[in-house]
Amino acid sequence: MSGLKELQEKFQRGILAGDDAVLTEINDSAKEERKTLFGVYRHAYVARLAEVLADDYDVLHAYVGDGTFAKLVKAYIAAHPSDRRSARDFGRHLPAFLSATAPFASHPELAEIASLEKALADAFDAADAEPLTVTKLAEIAPEDWPRLVFTPHPTALRLTFATNAADIWTALHNETAPPKAKALPEPQAILVWRQDVTARFRPIGPEEAMMWNEAVEGTRFGVLCEMVATFAGEDDAELRAATYLKDWTDTGMLAGCRVETTPDRGR
Amino acid sequence: MQNDKPPFLGFGLGLRPQHYSEILNGDPNVDWFEVISENYMVEGGQPMRMLDQICERYPVVMHGVSLSIASTSPLDMEYLGRLKKLAARVNPKWISDHLCWTGVHGVNLHDLLPVPYTKEALAHVVDRVKQVQDVLGRRLVLENVSTYVTFGQSEMTEWEFVSEVANRADCWLLFDVNNVYVSSFNHGFSADDFLNGVPRDRVVQFHVAGHSHEESHIVDTHDHPVCPEVWDVYHAAVAHFGPVSTMIERDDNIPPLADLVEELDHARSIAREVLGSPRLEAAE
Repeated sequence: MSGLKELQEKFQRGILAGDDAVLTEINDSAKEERKTLFGVYRHAYVARLAEVLADDYDVLHAYVGDGTFAKLVKAYIAAHPSDRRSARDFGRHLPAFLSATAPFASHPELAEIASLEKALADAFDAADAEPLTVTKLAEIAPEDWPRLVFTPHPTALRLTFATNAADIWTALHNETAPPKAKALPEPQAILVWRQDVTARFRPIGPEEAMMWNEAVEGTRFGVLCEMVATFAGEDDAELRAATYLKDWTDTGMLAGCRVETTPDRGR
Repeated sequence: MQNDKPPFLGFGLGLRPQHYSEILNGDPNVDWFEVISENYMVEGGQPMRMLDQICERYPVVMHGVSLSIASTSPLDMEYLGRLKKLAARVNPKWISDHLCWTGVHGVNLHDLLPVPYTKEALAHVVDRVKQVQDVLGRRLVLENVSTYVTFGQSEMTEWEFVSEVANRADCWLLFDVNNVYVSSFNHGFSADDFLNGVPRDRVVQFHVAGHSHEESHIVDTHDHPVCPEVWDVYHAAVAHFGPVSTMIERDDNIPPLADLVEELDHARSIAREVLGSPRLEAAE
């Protein structure tokens, strides 16, 4: 007879590794053999986690179909026993798992679709913050604009895709036929954030991506304008920078701004 | 520590995201809601906004699924901290979890796993409940789980074990009517023996739910309407325990809110039939 600790370890090994040692501790019931009864727990573990992954990665599921998704889920569950209290965290390693594990790694769009789904789920219940408003920006004195720095909304994050995973996601989300997976000529930047209670994403061009990366690092608006001018030409550079800023503000991607008062260090 | 016995709240439902707008835009005949604690251990967004709005309008209780009170791994103090933080926001009438374990060595099996009914396990659980109650500053409510296996080493019945935990740790009990029925079927005991075996003054909540019947055993899936056999146990439980806050618990295959309110009305009618309206109203 095992003590409680040893019994729980055997029980857990019985579920995770198929080890039958725990069966010596269990009684047959009047109607059923112990192996079948313990099998309820074995089955429930895999079925519950498979359901969690199917809920969290429903677009990936739709893309690969039931058969491949079942294989992918089985491999992931075996590789990553759950180590968090909340089941919503269980699938957090799936994008990295798909990037690193054959045969999924040879289809790079799979990891990218998964990373987009994870990013949207993360944005959905990330911390709240009042978004920066155009009204607040309008109160900034013209002479202070060059020293203005921005705070991204806490839900905002950036991804970079090498494939057309974002287009595949959009088609499947709209329940239409997805385009054939393909590598993009240039990496595609994607911004993910939550507007009010809805998690959103949008692909952005290289210039906007550069400006976003600098802005979230605390680079002043005056310097951002110079960088935009360097990136794609001085003509209308300030207008381009202001347009990006207005888009970010209109869609709730920024949480605040302040006028930097320390000596100009660029950032 | 908050020591007064929690009040009778009437007839409630588990809060599920599918029903947020129907609840907030309508006026369903639901007296209170139970929220799954882990679902609201997030930073913000719609879940927390909905939770705040529900808490403004209804009494709320918190129900956890991963306290793992019977695990031999150390208590997860980070989890308890998050539970306490959520309780400060929700101001729940009580906090419940299950008399079970969910994993050891940092693994979470996301299941309510059975405990051997031994003196060793009893002492272990009692000690852990006391620790949790000290951290939370309130008495815990513990629920009996459905089980599919029994252990050769058990030294007492489930109801003896549950009763000893409640009396020694000085905690409350959530009497899950469905789980009693499921375990009584699986292990061949009488639901009445369980019902008569637990201390009446410790029971503060009932769960009523559906399950899946697999011929030789029943699996507690919470994905079906409540069946007649479970309503029979509920009838007996109301007669035995008196007015106890009652909740329909549906976790999967979730129907429209109206269907659950209909089941809740059935529970109301049983309670009225057994206790009489004056006694129920007096409790409310």
